[in-house]
Amino acid sequence: MKCVIEGKNAKVFGRAVHALSRVGDELWLDPTVKGLALRSVNSAQSAYACFIFSPLFFQQYSFMGCVPKQSSKTVKCKLLMKSLLPLFRCLTSIERNVERCQISVSASSDWVIIQFFCRHGITKTHNLRFQEKEALQAEFASHLCTNVLKAPARLLGDMVVHFPVFQEEITLSATPLRFSLRNYEESGESQVKMMYTEMSLHPEEFEYFHVDVNSEITFCLKELRGFLSFTESHCLPVSVHFDSAGKPVCFSVEDVLFEASVVLATLMESKSTDSIQPVGTQVHATSRCVDAAALRVHACEGHGETGRERITSSQGSTVSPHPDPIPPLPQTQQANKESISVNTSPASSMVCTLLFKALSSEQDDNVCAATPPVLAGYSDEEMMEEFCPKSPSL
Amino acid sequence: MKFRGKIVDVACLNHFTRVVTTISKLTKTCVLRLNPDNLFFVLSGKVANGGVSMWCELSQANFFDEYQMEGVSPENNEICLELAPENLSRALKTVQNAKSVKVKLTKKHCPCLTVCAELPTLSSSSRVVTHDVPVDVIPKRLWHEFKEPSVPDFDVSIYLPPLKTIKNVVDRMKNLSNFLVIEANMNGEMNLKIETDLVSVTTYFKDLGNPPWGDGASQDGGPTQSRDPDSMAEARVDVRKLQQFLVGQQVNPSKSMCNIVHQSVLHLILLHEDVSLQYFIPAVA
Repeated sequence: MKCVIEGKNAKVFGRAVHALSRVGDELWLDPTVKGLALRSVNSAQSAYACFIFSPLFFQQYSFMGCVPKQSSKTVKCKLLMKSLLPLFRCLTSIERNVERCQISVSASSDWVIIQFFCRHGITKTHNLRFQEKEALQAEFASHLCTNVLKAPARLLGDMVVHFPVFQEEITLSATPLRFSLRNYEESGESQVKMMYTEMSLHPEEFEYFHVDVNSEITFCLKELRGFLSFTESHCLPVSVHFDSAGKPVCFSVEDVLFEASVVLATLMESKSTDSIQPVGTQVHATSRCVDAAALRVHACEGHGETGRERITSSQGSTVSPHPDPIPPLPQTQQANKESISVNTSPASSMVCTLLFKALSSEQDDNVCAATPPVLAGYSDEEMMEEFCPKSPSL
Repeated sequence: MKFRGKIVDVACLNHFTRVVTTISKLTKTCVLRLNPDNLFFVLSGKVANGGVSMWCELSQANFFDEYQMEGVSPENNEICLELAPENLSRALKTVQNAKSVKVKLTKKHCPCLTVCAELPTLSSSSRVVTHDVPVDVIPKRLWHEFKEPSVPDFDVSIYLPPLKTIKNVVDRMKNLSNFLVIEANMNGEMNLKIETDLVSVTTYFKDLGNPPWGDGASQDGGPTQSRDPDSMAEARVDVRKLQQFLVGQQVNPSKSMCNIVHQSVLHLILLHEDVSLQYFIPAVA
């Protein structure tokens, strides 16, 4: 793979790296015919970000292996964020000095070579070792989401600024008449003395506001902030796709030259813990995210049976009583009892993680046979068959 | 007990926010006293604070466009709350461009001071931000701890040099010693001294001027009058406490002065048209 980025786009690329660094410690590079995809996932596997730069973004872009005689397999690799971020750390100096940035990966060696051709004839070459790895991809059926919003460029950024920097999680609440964000605190002694902040907007502030099902979702703010600082610098409207609590939320932007999205897992509140699975991987981690993720990964490694078992206990395959026009997505059993307004599903206390699929160079339709890490299972076989092949990959 | 105040003017909001931010830099918790005319931020001089105490008085009419309160009882028309000024400062800082900010006493999960701001938007609707700052109501029997401090029977009263200058000096001195001596006389001279085994450093300030307290102000008109103008009164204080006072200053005072009670107390006073801040640092041996 070889691509050349022109001066001013190098800053955009750098910003994408910054946003991804707020999500995870590793960056997956995946050159495809559609463009160069950069992806990252956090350690708890509750947040995933993906930036795809189309070939138009680059001065030159060739994604096939450099040596035609060898297999024309494109190289997919994983880099440590620690090695990559410092190269793009100072964006203003990149803007001022870099005329061209060239990134090349060859299958024959282990290096990703990043070269900055700067003013005054200076060339900086960085060789980063990579680990060849299957590409990472989250499956998130955004077109199946019941609630879709499109917020003008600065709106979300203006909203999250009201929350302190150390605020970990926030709750987004949407009804057809109102949209609000408030900070989320775990229940406990500390709850009493916490400062609560809530911010609400009228739907008409959004470019597009479609809420079918009132929902309240809680997710991590940190990864979102990184993404929002990227979108604000480009003045792009942000689309938000979400459902009820427990299902992931996706924030995305689109431009001629690139598309970016971040998918975050949302919290499922629980009142009973008896539905926690038989797999016995109940890890007593401090953060819910870690807790849940650990569960998911372990469970899915023995995919098939175990995965399904566990999932049925936490997310029944019962159909929601609400007349959704979309095919029924997994709902918790007790959710049926709840009224439409609040969607706190009393399933096991865990974050519903995303559906990840490790891809080989071709799309693998039979998800069951996917190689690990599959991070979340499906409610049952039929449902999976139904929507997996159609889901757009991110 | 009820309290409801509304700030509409941007400059007033800004000023109020800066005062609260200054207070938040001085102490982690303090008491807010409200009466029909004024707001007071009080820190009483307990051992836990290292003996430092603070009294900040704001005239409500200079900040609030609307101000209504009902105290504990008609005879004691006052409200006394304990809060973390940092929370209030954070709540106010994010709403600087609001069309209006309401501050009211509410009961949510606990008694709270709710800051409710209406932010401007391009469309006709408005955005509402609400911050609930948790507070503790102080019962009337403890109010005596938070009374206005009386001006001490000082030996010397002198105007301070620009706070920025003192701050620079104190910052450097902090690296050398834990204790700093402030001495001043009635001739407009002030010295900041530190002394260690290896080194002693003194910074001299001259022509500062002495505030004319006059006969009325000081309890006992005698001492300042009959005092030798060149004789220095000194107070040895913990340099970190002095630095903490200087570091947080966000409001540029129109007048700043200090009173020194020889080897007893350093009393710093910052005056501004709407706000006055007094800070007491005890002297150490």
